Amino acid sequence: MIMADIQQVSFERIKHKKKMATEDLIFTILNTTFLVLFAVVTLYPVLNTLAYSFNEGNDAVRGGIYFLPRKWSWRNYEEILFERPGIRVGAKITVLRTIIGTLTSLAANALLSYILSRKKFLFKSGMSLFWIITMYASGGMIPVLILFRYLHLTSSFWVYVIPGMVSAFNVMVMRTYMLGIPDSLEEAAQLEGAGYMRVFVSIITPLCKPVYATIALFVAVYHWNSWFDAMLYNRFDPQYTTLQYELMKLLDSVSATTGATSGAAMTAATANTITPITVRAAASIATMAPIIALYPFLQRYFVTGLTIGGVKE
Amino acid sequence: MEISTSKSKKQKPVDIDKPKLTVKEFKRQWILVVISVIYVIYGIIFYYLPLAGWIIAFQDFKYNKGISGSKWVGFDKFKFLFSDKTFLMVIRNTFCMGALNLIFSTVVAIAFAILLNEVKNKYFKKSIQTISYLPHFLSWIIVVAIVHDALTSTGIINDILMRLHIVQTPFPFLARPEWFWPIVTLSNLWKETGWNAIIYLAAITSIDPCLYESASIDGAGRFQKMLYVTLPGLRPTIMILLLMNIGNVLNAGFELQYLLGNGLVQNVSRTIDIYVLNWALDARNLDYSLGTAAGIFKTVVSMTFIVVSNYIAKKKGDERLF
Amino acid sequence: MKTKKIVTLILASMLAVSSLAACSNGGGTGATDATTGAGGETQATSGEKEIVDFTMFAAMSGKEKDANNDIQEIIAQKTGVRVKETWLTGQDAGEAIGSIIASGKLPDLIDGGDGSVTLYENGLLVAWDDYLEKYPNLKEMYTDEEWDKFRMDDGHIYWANVFGNSYNHINTATGQNGEAFWIQVRVLEWANYPKIETLDEYFKLLEDYAAANPELPDGTPVIPYTCLCEDWKYYCLENAPMFLDGYPNDGCCIVNIDAGMDKPKVVDYNTTDTAKMYFKKLNEEYAKGAIDPDFATQTYDEYIAKLSTGRVLGLCDQYWDFAYNIMGPFASPLQATDGTEFRLDQIGCDYVPLGLVAKKGMSQQWHSYDDELNQSSGCAVTTSCKDPDLAFAFLSALLDQDIHDLRFWGIEGVDYLVDENGLYYRTEEMRENWKSDSYKAKHTCEYSYCPQWMGMSRDGINRMQPGEQPSEFVLSLAEPLKKCFEAYGVGTYVEFLNSEKVVNAPWYPLWSWSNSISSDTPGGVAWKKMGETKHLWLPTVVMSKDFESDWAAYQAAYAECEPEKFLEEAQAEVNKRLETAQSYGWTPN
Repeated sequence: MIMADIQQVSFERIKHKKKMATEDLIFTILNTTFLVLFAVVTLYPVLNTLAYSFNEGNDAVRGGIYFLPRKWSWRNYEEILFERPGIRVGAKITVLRTIIGTLTSLAANALLSYILSRKKFLFKSGMSLFWIITMYASGGMIPVLILFRYLHLTSSFWVYVIPGMVSAFNVMVMRTYMLGIPDSLEEAAQLEGAGYMRVFVSIITPLCKPVYATIALFVAVYHWNSWFDAMLYNRFDPQYTTLQYELMKLLDSVSATTGATSGAAMTAATANTITPITVRAAASIATMAPIIALYPFLQRYFVTGLTIGGVKE
Repeated sequence: MEISTSKSKKQKPVDIDKPKLTVKEFKRQWILVVISVIYVIYGIIFYYLPLAGWIIAFQDFKYNKGISGSKWVGFDKFKFLFSDKTFLMVIRNTFCMGALNLIFSTVVAIAFAILLNEVKNKYFKKSIQTISYLPHFLSWIIVVAIVHDALTSTGIINDILMRLHIVQTPFPFLARPEWFWPIVTLSNLWKETGWNAIIYLAAITSIDPCLYESASIDGAGRFQKMLYVTLPGLRPTIMILLLMNIGNVLNAGFELQYLLGNGLVQNVSRTIDIYVLNWALDARNLDYSLGTAAGIFKTVVSMTFIVVSNYIAKKKGDERLF
Repeated sequence: MKTKKIVTLILASMLAVSSLAACSNGGGTGATDATTGAGGETQATSGEKEIVDFTMFAAMSGKEKDANNDIQEIIAQKTGVRVKETWLTGQDAGEAIGSIIASGKLPDLIDGGDGSVTLYENGLLVAWDDYLEKYPNLKEMYTDEEWDKFRMDDGHIYWANVFGNSYNHINTATGQNGEAFWIQVRVLEWANYPKIETLDEYFKLLEDYAAANPELPDGTPVIPYTCLCEDWKYYCLENAPMFLDGYPNDGCCIVNIDAGMDKPKVVDYNTTDTAKMYFKKLNEEYAKGAIDPDFATQTYDEYIAKLSTGRVLGLCDQYWDFAYNIMGPFASPLQATDGTEFRLDQIGCDYVPLGLVAKKGMSQQWHSYDDELNQSSGCAVTTSCKDPDLAFAFLSALLDQDIHDLRFWGIEGVDYLVDENGLYYRTEEMRENWKSDSYKAKHTCEYSYCPQWMGMSRDGINRMQPGEQPSEFVLSLAEPLKKCFEAYGVGTYVEFLNSEKVVNAPWYPLWSWSNSISSDTPGGVAWKKMGETKHLWLPTVVMSKDFESDWAAYQAAYAECEPEKFLEEAQAEVNKRLETAQSYGWTPN
């Protein structure tokens, strides 16, 4: 087909192509420069945090550290990785919830998106509205806590997995993607006698790898980063603590102080609770690292997604 | 060769083939209905049951008295909110910061995704993408500390401005109310652009490559392809995300404004969530009723935004939520 | 009734669903099987005493101890109780207390901070009354009159504040833990140790010194004066007029006793002539560039970073808020521009407190010599605690001298040594250890929100806490600081500050009331609005180019908050406290 086209190319077209090539080059240069600049700007906070995390604590308090540590030290990592109570339990629970939570949530979201993306589904609008409302209407922290308490979800691992399993936002993103898959594929399969579930498993799912990868990334990152639920539901159950909750205790020890003890009541034992910036930085880097390592693995699917077009013929 | 162009054309409203509720159709899709029922039960338990807590907005709720024992006060809590000048001010702040964030983060993320998509070198592309979403993993506490530091009188921004002789004395960015919203918007862009672009990058992969080929054949340049192939290909995703995020405009945030704000800019920095924290979650007087009333207000506004924008999208024949 | 039925119905259905959920998910991984820990379950430790694990929550920020903390284990062996402490994270006290109550799972011990009353109102605390009789150690903490101040409206005592309580009521403080205008000793040394009494003298000295010594040895430019305004810590800017007029730290207002101690009158310090004079002075100094240009917007971290470089010559703050965080940086070696090494504490960057007053020759009360009782919050035992008697026995045991020494001095031979006279002392290394966070996490166990003493130890030789031990105190001073104290002929910060020695008034300190007032009353609402207004206007008037008109605008905005409603309630509280004291036989002398 392309060959046939080329044969029809006129002289004008060739001239046009040359112009395009220069345009192309300029664009590539500008685009590359822009993206590199953008990368540098966005990389800065990470580099800065990295520099702090390898700097000696007392020295870092003085500020003025940008790209490189001033006084090198491993101490901060030692402190958070080996000396913090609950880090090991937290790491175990976080890995577990990330794996279990991502798999269950992906399955639950995918199935719901599939149903909502069926153009012939009878209750499509109602069901969509039902889930969209859940995005904006919330009873607030306290009613949810009381509910979970009666469901025996507090003081348990499952509070991390079950309540957040279906997310309307993710469902809508997936549904949009699935709507883009031509109906003809589904119809053809159905003619061959495949039921709805069969179509979902063997036709839709393989085509949805890029969006599955995206949602999996979202959900995994959510699970990896969450700490508020650990605190809210399992505050006094150290066996269900999460990594981020343990690190949050370090990060946040300054900002939450209230005015209750504003008299002369503070003593050395109680007042000296500020966490060194260096330890906070090390904590941030330590939690970022594993989830970032996951990304290239998922990134593959974004690229393979390009072949979908071919399947469509 | 017939190219499937369902996405490149404007999506027709699907009402034409809207299914009719018949016994036959019901039987045919029974499995979908059964699964839906399970989802509805799940949704009712985890999302709708807690909404029963809304009734405390009409009470002077005291925890020890419970819902049955607390005094009913009707709309008093709402009256308190809307008669407080500060509350009206925080609504304005929340809305403006939410809207600024929605507009800029959407536009910049799309632009970034499209530009990144134009990169041919696989490794370069992957590296840039990975770097760009790294800040998402830093907590606001860390990022705000960096932003704050950069904007002080001896910070890097003033340093540059003074070296370039744009200003003679350091400019107090953090003390000026008019600079607060731009700083918040830029901080959001800085931290989240790469992350927000992921969705669009994934959506770009679903665009049929044949469309690019045929566009090339028709003599389209890089820009034209971006404008006439990539952007329309992203349209459904953009529309859906936009619709959903419009509902989130009043959830403009808490942490960023709380950490970045100070006494001098409090009239533009406080959001609804900060207001609720100050007035309703005061340890000395936990006023859940007031907090719930503010929550209901937010939900009502969000739902109104969603329904209206969904209606507009439907009219225009665009992608819609329900 | 109807609502109750509906609620029951909903709950019943929830329960049914939850048991279903439990069935379908019970067979998951083994990760959820562990059920040790909370709730006071006993764990047998090999052959030794059974140790009960308690949990404790303090609605403050703090640091957790490592598992197997050395001293924690020793105390556990002695008392049979090990307490896991948890602190506030990412929530403020109100949210935290609210969510703990709603979750239905309470720790065994709790310090609810601002939320203490909420806990009491929900009937979640165990009354101390019976246990006070049983455990004299606890009873000893306060006099009957003081205990009565802790009584709630049902007549019972539910918590005891653990701080600032001196054994036998003899306050032996060496330091000024409270507020003052602080100045670096090198500035005083440079000016030949002058007597500084007023704001004018103070700022003049700061300016002169900065002009003569614009840089530190490492080239960092000095900042004559800075001031923190972040969140509630804006007291650094806000409440100086109260002290300048010679009044003690009542926190929220001045209590004027010109008409006699039995006729106290509450006065607003925000509208006095002294307030205007003070802010005008700050305004002038800001215009001259003597005040840090970022003072109004700096965060606490930035403030500490600034102080840690030694470049700030003067500031107004409470000691505990800045001093502990700059000790480390001040003691670490730095490189000067000429390549030599120096330490900030050795060149005289340490701060000493100045008790400034509005007019020369006035007396002042920046330091208060007696204990300050804060009855609004404290250590409590919850109704979830399975063995409250054991909990109180534990709290009592913490006050035994040997355990108290373990908590605050550490292990003899490891953390402190004893000389032939029985005096405790520490080596340089021991002192450094106790400054290290990681050492504290794995070795020390203060149980810092449980009952404790200040002042003189029961042995009559040592102090309850090392910070107050005079010998320790002198040893911990850097050379320039010692020289400064010698020059003024004093031995401690308290003597240096030289506040007027007065007996605490019966209503003092009033901040124990203002810190706990809620927005439930008109006065509480006014108090909150006053705070918001001052947060906006005080930095504005300091930075103003036209002080007079901005000051007028500020006063107008302030009046709109109806401060008189707040003052009315403050006056009522003062009167109430006065009456209580009188019922115990207090008379104005």
